[in-house]
Amino acid sequence: MGVIRFDDVGRIFGSKAKGFVALKNIDLEIGDREFVAIVGPSGCGKTTCLRLVAGFDHATSGTVSVDGTPVKRPGPDRAVVFQQFALFPWKSVWDNIELGLRNLGLRAAERTERIGAILDLMHLAPYAEHFPHQLSGGMQQRVAIARAYVLDPDVLLMDEPFGALDAQTRVVMQEELVRLARKNPRTVLFITHAVEEAVYLADRVVIMTRAPGRIKEVLDVASIRNAEDWGSHEKIEDVMDLESFVHLRTHIWRSLREEKASQDV
Amino acid sequence: MSRRILIGLATLAVVFVLWYTATTVLGLIAPGRFPSPAETWSALVHIWDRGYGGGDLVTHALHSLRLVVLGFLVAIATGVPLGLFMGWNRRAEAIINPIFLIIRPIPPLAWIPLAILWLGLGDGAKILVIWFSAFVPSVINSFAGVRTIERPMLEASFMLGTPRLRFIQEVLLPAASPMIFTGLRLSLQASWTTLVAAELVGAFYGLGRVLNVAQQDLYPGMILVGMVAVAIFGWGTTRLLGMLETYTLRWNTAALAARG
Amino acid sequence: MQPPVTFLQSVALGFLGLGLFIGLWYVLSVSGFVPRVFLPSPGEVVDRFAVLMERRFAGATLLGHLAASFERFAYGFLLAAVVGIPLGLLMGWYRLLDEIVSPLFDGLRFVAPIAWVPFAALWFGTGIGGPIMIIFAGAFPPCVINAYRGAKFVDPRLIEAANMLGTPSLRVIREVLLPSSVPSIIAGLRVSAGLGWQSLVGAELIVASAGVGYMMVQGQANVSTATVMSGMVAIGLVGLALDTILRLIERVILRRRGLEH
Repeated sequence: MGVIRFDDVGRIFGSKAKGFVALKNIDLEIGDREFVAIVGPSGCGKTTCLRLVAGFDHATSGTVSVDGTPVKRPGPDRAVVFQQFALFPWKSVWDNIELGLRNLGLRAAERTERIGAILDLMHLAPYAEHFPHQLSGGMQQRVAIARAYVLDPDVLLMDEPFGALDAQTRVVMQEELVRLARKNPRTVLFITHAVEEAVYLADRVVIMTRAPGRIKEVLDVASIRNAEDWGSHEKIEDVMDLESFVHLRTHIWRSLREEKASQDV
Repeated sequence: MSRRILIGLATLAVVFVLWYTATTVLGLIAPGRFPSPAETWSALVHIWDRGYGGGDLVTHALHSLRLVVLGFLVAIATGVPLGLFMGWNRRAEAIINPIFLIIRPIPPLAWIPLAILWLGLGDGAKILVIWFSAFVPSVINSFAGVRTIERPMLEASFMLGTPRLRFIQEVLLPAASPMIFTGLRLSLQASWTTLVAAELVGAFYGLGRVLNVAQQDLYPGMILVGMVAVAIFGWGTTRLLGMLETYTLRWNTAALAARG
Repeated sequence: MQPPVTFLQSVALGFLGLGLFIGLWYVLSVSGFVPRVFLPSPGEVVDRFAVLMERRFAGATLLGHLAASFERFAYGFLLAAVVGIPLGLLMGWYRLLDEIVSPLFDGLRFVAPIAWVPFAALWFGTGIGGPIMIIFAGAFPPCVINAYRGAKFVDPRLIEAANMLGTPSLRVIREVLLPSSVPSIIAGLRVSAGLGWQSLVGAELIVASAGVGYMMVQGQANVSTATVMSGMVAIGLVGLALDTILRLIERVILRRRGLEH
C-alpha cells in the first residue's frame, strides 16, 4: 500500500522546444510506509514532484504511479498538507476535518468517532468549534494535518508544511510529526528546503539538482538513525547535536552549495 | 470616534443655522431658488397629509422601494450565477466576454429611452432599466470572486474528493462571497440611481415622480423633500444589505481587520 | 480543474459569442418575432448611425450632439477636478478640515447625481448650466476621495526623511506630499471621468436641448428605435475612448515612477 513510483518522469512547462524544463529523468521509488524528504535549491522541481503525485499536475514524459496505478487526478488516497494551510475560513475546525469524510461517504457516527480520535491525538479537542482565524499558524497547520490524516490515506504529501511557521513552532511541529508518524505510519513524501528538518524526519533524503531538476543523490538516513539510536533522544536539539546527524547535514549542505554555485555563475 | 461624531453634529448644526439665516433671516437666497427650512417643512406636511403628484409620501416611497427591490433581486438572481459561471468556466468566459465588452461602456441611464420605447412608463420599463444597470456589477464582481480564489484552497477541495454540487455550495460560493457582496452593494446603488432617473424621465408613481412634478411646479420645498427621501431610503437599504453582509461574512477577518 | 483556454481558442470563442449575439438579434428582428419598430435589425442601426452623422436630427448631426455633450462634460469634469482635488488634498493634510467637511461630504455623497436634476432644471432651465451641475455632482466625489486618500496615506517615512533633511514646509508639500499623491489622484480622475460621463447622459435625458441624451429622448418620442440605439452606441464609444485614454495616461505616469505592477 502506498508505493510511489516515478518512471523516467519529465515535466516541461510550455512548448517542448523552448519551454522550461522543470524535471528530467526522475526515477524514484518510495516504499510502503517510507518517509522520504526531497531537498534542493529553489526552482529545482521538488514541489513539482509532489504535485505530480497529488494529481494537480501531469508529467509530460514518463509515468507517476501509486501502487501500480498511474496518477490521473487528485483524491483522498493521496492527502496533501499545504504550506499555506488551505483551510476553509468559513468552516470550523470540526467541519474542516469532516469534509473529506463526508465526501468518502462515511456515516455520521463513524465520522464523529474518527474526528474525535484525531482531535485528541493532535491536542485539538478544545478547539473543535473554533474558526481558523482564531488559531495560531501552528494550530492551523495541525488542523490541516489532522484533515489529511483522518482520511487514512495511502500516501501523505507534505509541501513545505512548516515553511510558514516561526522557528520555535516549527521545531514543535517536527517533533509532533515524528510522534504521529511513529504511531500511525504511512508513506510520506515531504518537501522542504530546511536540511535539518529533512534529516530529522526522513528515512531517505533525496537531493535534487537545480533546474532542469534531476536526482543528484539519495541518502539513506534510516540506517544511520537506527545504528546511532537517534530515537532514544526525546528532544530535537539532542538529536541535532549528535555527530552522525551533523555529518549528514553538512554533507547535504555541501551538495546543495555546489548546486547554488553553479547557478550563480 | 466620538470626537468625530461631535464635530459632525456641530457641523450639521452650523449648516442648519447658515441655511436658516441665508434663506429666512437675510433673504440671501431667493425663495424660488432654494427652499427655507420653513418651506421644506410645509412641503413635507403637504405631501404627508394631502399627497402630491398622485399619492402621499408613503405611497410614492413604497412604490419606489418595491421597484428597486424587485429590480435588484432580478438583477442579482441573473447576474451572480452568470458571473460565477463565467469565472469558473473559461470557455463560457471566452464566449460571453465580447458581448460584455460592448454592453459595458453604455451608461446604465442610457437604457432609459429604449426601455420607455419598449415598455412605456409603467413598472415594467423601470424594472427593465434597473436590470440593465444593476446586472453588470453583479456579474463582474462574482466573476472576480471566483477568479481570486486562492489555488491551494481549490486544490485542497479536489484532494478531499469533493463532488461538484457540494463544491459549489461549500467552497466556491463562500470563497467568492466577499466579492459577491461588493457586487451586490454596487448593484443596489445602481438600482436606486437608475430608478430615480427613470422616474424623473416619466412615471406615474414614485419618489422620482415627486421630484419631476415638483420641478415642473417650481416647488423647491418639495424637491428638497424628495431628495432627502431618496437619500434616506437609499441609505436604509444599503444599511440592511451591509448588515446581511456582516453576518454572512463573520469569518472574513481580513476584511474586518481592514475596516478596523 | 478547468482545462486552460489558449489565446487562439478564446479569440475564436469570442467571435462565436459575438456572432451568436448579432445573429440572434438579426433573426428576432427580421423574422418579425419582435416588431421591427421595436427591434431594428443590426444593419438598420448601422444605417441610421451613418445617416445621423450626416443629417441633422433634433437640431444637429450626431457629431454635433456629441460635441455639445462633450463640451458640457469637459466643463463639469474640469470644475470637479479643480475644486475637488485641492479640497481632497487639504482634507488629507489638515485633520480639522477633514473632520468638518467629512460629515457634509458623506451625507451629500449618498444623493445620486441624478437627484440634483430638479434643482438644476429650476436654476438653469435647459441651459448649459444644468448638465454641468449634474456632471459636477457625479465627478466631484471621486476627485475628492482619491486626492484625500493620496494625501492622507503618504508613507510617513517619506515625511520623516524630508524633515530629517531640514526641508521647509512649503517645499515638503511641493516636493514630497504632492508628488506622492499623484497616483491616487490620477486613479480618481479616471473614475471621476467615468461617473461624470454617465451622469451627463442622465442629465441630458431631462434637462437639455442639445446633446446625445437629448437626441435619444427625441428619438424615443418619435419612436425611432434605431436613433435611440445609435445614440447608445455613440455614448458607449466615447465613454470607452475616454476611459482608455485615461488608463494609458495612468499607466505612463505609474511606469515613470516604477510603480507599475
